[in-house]
Amino acid sequence: MSLPPEVQYLHSQILNHLKLFFAPKVTHLFDSHLVRFLPYNDAITIKEKIIAIPYDIPISSVPVEPYKVDFSGTKLTLWNRIDRPHNLGWTAIPNELTPLWYRHKEGTLIPGWNLFGNLYKLLTFGEEAESIQRDSHGRFVAAYSQRKECGLLEVPAFNEATAVLAAGCLGLQEKGEPFLNLKDAVKAPVISLSHDCDVLYGNDFWTQAVRAFRVIEPLRRLRFPKLSNIRWIAKNAVIPRRFYFDNVTGMIDLERSFGFTSTFYLLNGTAGRFGARNGLKPIPELCKVIPLHWGKGIHYNYDTFLNSDLFASQYAELQSVINIRIISGRAHYLRFDPDKSFSFLSQFGIRVDESSGFSDFIGYRNGIAGCFQVFDRSASKTIEMWEVPMTIMDSTIVRQYGRDALKVYSAMMHHLSRIGGAMTVLFHPGAFYNPEFPEMIGIYHNILMESRRLRARSLTAAEMINQIKDSVSA
Amino acid sequence: MTEQDILVRLVEDSEMQACNLFHNKLYKKSRSFEQWQWEFKSNLYNSSSVPFAVAVNQGQIVGTQALIPIRMIDRTGVYWTAKSEETLVDPQFRGNKLFERMYTVLFNYAKEHNYVNIWGFTPAAKAFTRLDFSISARTEQLFIPFSQKAISMLLAKGTSGTQSTIKRSLRNIVAHAGGRIAQSVAAFKISMQRRVKLTGLKLENICDPTDETAEVCQRFIDRWGGRTIYRDSNYFKWRFFTNPYVRSNIAGIFFEKELLGWVAFSLGDDGMGYLIDLMVNGDESRISTESLVRELLLEAVIRTRNMGAYGIRSWHVNEHPFDRIVTRVAKKVGFFHIKRGHAFVLYDCDGGSSRSAADNFNEWYITRAFTQGLHG
Repeated sequence: MSLPPEVQYLHSQILNHLKLFFAPKVTHLFDSHLVRFLPYNDAITIKEKIIAIPYDIPISSVPVEPYKVDFSGTKLTLWNRIDRPHNLGWTAIPNELTPLWYRHKEGTLIPGWNLFGNLYKLLTFGEEAESIQRDSHGRFVAAYSQRKECGLLEVPAFNEATAVLAAGCLGLQEKGEPFLNLKDAVKAPVISLSHDCDVLYGNDFWTQAVRAFRVIEPLRRLRFPKLSNIRWIAKNAVIPRRFYFDNVTGMIDLERSFGFTSTFYLLNGTAGRFGARNGLKPIPELCKVIPLHWGKGIHYNYDTFLNSDLFASQYAELQSVINIRIISGRAHYLRFDPDKSFSFLSQFGIRVDESSGFSDFIGYRNGIAGCFQVFDRSASKTIEMWEVPMTIMDSTIVRQYGRDALKVYSAMMHHLSRIGGAMTVLFHPGAFYNPEFPEMIGIYHNILMESRRLRARSLTAAEMINQIKDSVSA
Repeated sequence: MTEQDILVRLVEDSEMQACNLFHNKLYKKSRSFEQWQWEFKSNLYNSSSVPFAVAVNQGQIVGTQALIPIRMIDRTGVYWTAKSEETLVDPQFRGNKLFERMYTVLFNYAKEHNYVNIWGFTPAAKAFTRLDFSISARTEQLFIPFSQKAISMLLAKGTSGTQSTIKRSLRNIVAHAGGRIAQSVAAFKISMQRRVKLTGLKLENICDPTDETAEVCQRFIDRWGGRTIYRDSNYFKWRFFTNPYVRSNIAGIFFEKELLGWVAFSLGDDGMGYLIDLMVNGDESRISTESLVRELLLEAVIRTRNMGAYGIRSWHVNEHPFDRIVTRVAKKVGFFHIKRGHAFVLYDCDGGSSRSAADNFNEWYITRAFTQGLHG
């Protein structure tokens, strides 16, 4: 009997994830007869030594009773716990209150929480499909998320669930019961760096106007004007590239010294406050500066959102100055619609998108630190498009956590080093090293140092997808 | 416990992790074992044993002293030397002559392997002079502050615990005021520099080891004389491209595809920029050495500044003719010369032949590439 497309989809995504972040033996075990997706009633009555994942447990719109479980030197956060099966012979592992597994005396394992429901909802943007709230740019922001209310935005739920399954497979095969530790089965975490090149010359009208406004804005509150902005107006009037274009070369040199690479998303097309501040002018020179092995993609202009003519025009203009075919991109202002944008973008040849992130908070919008194929819920089919959600944005983590920003980054990376995953970090050139924003100075360098300390592997979004595809063809 | 209870010998494979942990414990550092291996085990000499002496008491490492084999070149050819590194004795075991005993093991090793000399940089030169090392010179700094943080860092490194608070505060105020002036002067000088425009001359990153670096090195010695590290492709691969701390960026200067020289620079983990290496050998009839040096210095200065460095530091060590040119040009570009640094110590393994004698120290061309690579 063939499985519903939703189940086949999730099975594929878990398999892809295992290929990137776990030892090959784990992938083989998961893809064998050891793991089966079943209706709940079949799962609890099968009485075979397998992992049975129920796929028909209803899911509530609000995460229910999150709980924490110690696992492989870190703590997992799970929600939507399922009750211990009513029939005899089931015990909870590690305990009834915080179950990772329910184990039948015949050896069957079922997850202690609604694994399928949670992951499917996260990967298919179920949370925002249930909400009508959108901000002035038409975005579903973190503030509207039910997970935000429960403090779950920084939980890579997909990675945690996959890690539990991986340890379950290994334990079941070796000892007949699940391991609670991954030992050497998990690979080093991945750091995936990217840069949205919104502003490359600091002397454009809008950047200078915002600074001028900042000078006088305190007067409205009877405060002293912020005269320091005059310095930045003057500095960029004389040297437009300083702290913007020049920072691109600085970031590349810095990444190179760590053995890392990154992707640059280039913004062209319509000018304006929300549009391309510098137009196409700096892009040919920028492309010469970006080394061959670094990635280049399109930063979809604000007004191209679901507008075929404008998108086609921006794409064609950018393609005319880039010597590689553009297949990856991210939306300016992270403006996208999960129901329509992916099929829209795929018409133009975009295969890898990095738009799924929050601008107001850091966190895993799809509960995944990694990548996944997009699923069209209305047509019940997988789209030819990969999403690599953006987790951390430069100013967001600093605004949210201030001086603790690096501690938070470090904790999140450490967590991924225990369970496997990819941390995606977006840094704008203007936020990398710019005395106008002193709170940002040194943050990127420290992020790279911490990643090196945890022996992170550097992969761009496109490289991650290629690794998965290569492992399939191998 | 007597001196003889403590065993001194070369490290065994099973003790290597413990040696790294010993270092980390004493210095409160978190050096990884991979970094230890790169520094001491994956050296270029290809010897079956590692020149890393240990003092072992009841199975515990209580002292370490290492040599890093480095190949050098002079007009008579290429030869092996060793850099002294990892001098560490557990404070509880001081007074047991462990340093001397470990060096006895290493002196024998050096003799067996035909190392011409052993050299190193140390803030504690006295211990080395007792072992017949000579103090040849001290490293000095060339320095540009890009921000006030650079001054604070420089002050923090030179602060003595015995200074009174008032004296320290006064010193800080003066240094910061001086730093501001230095910053402005340097920024002005940098902005006044005009880049060389010569058809066929261009700067390009060197991202992979190439045999051309050895040729430049050979021509450099033919022209300037003296001795320096032999920077062939193997050395570049080990020292720069597989450095597990910080990999330097290397900008090569080419004339019609011919490599004339390079500058290696990096951003250290401390946020300071470092000029790690600079070597040039051009054809004076086309373009002067000074112009090439200036191009490379400017490239390093601007790119480390763009990387967000607080400042950039380089070395001036002796009166080697090329070192003198670099220092002269560096000052024109905006560097300040600070006479502060570590002692350079040298031990002759071959009985004072002309190749290694300490009295011709000005023949050594030394850059930060002679360090063990923590900053790139």
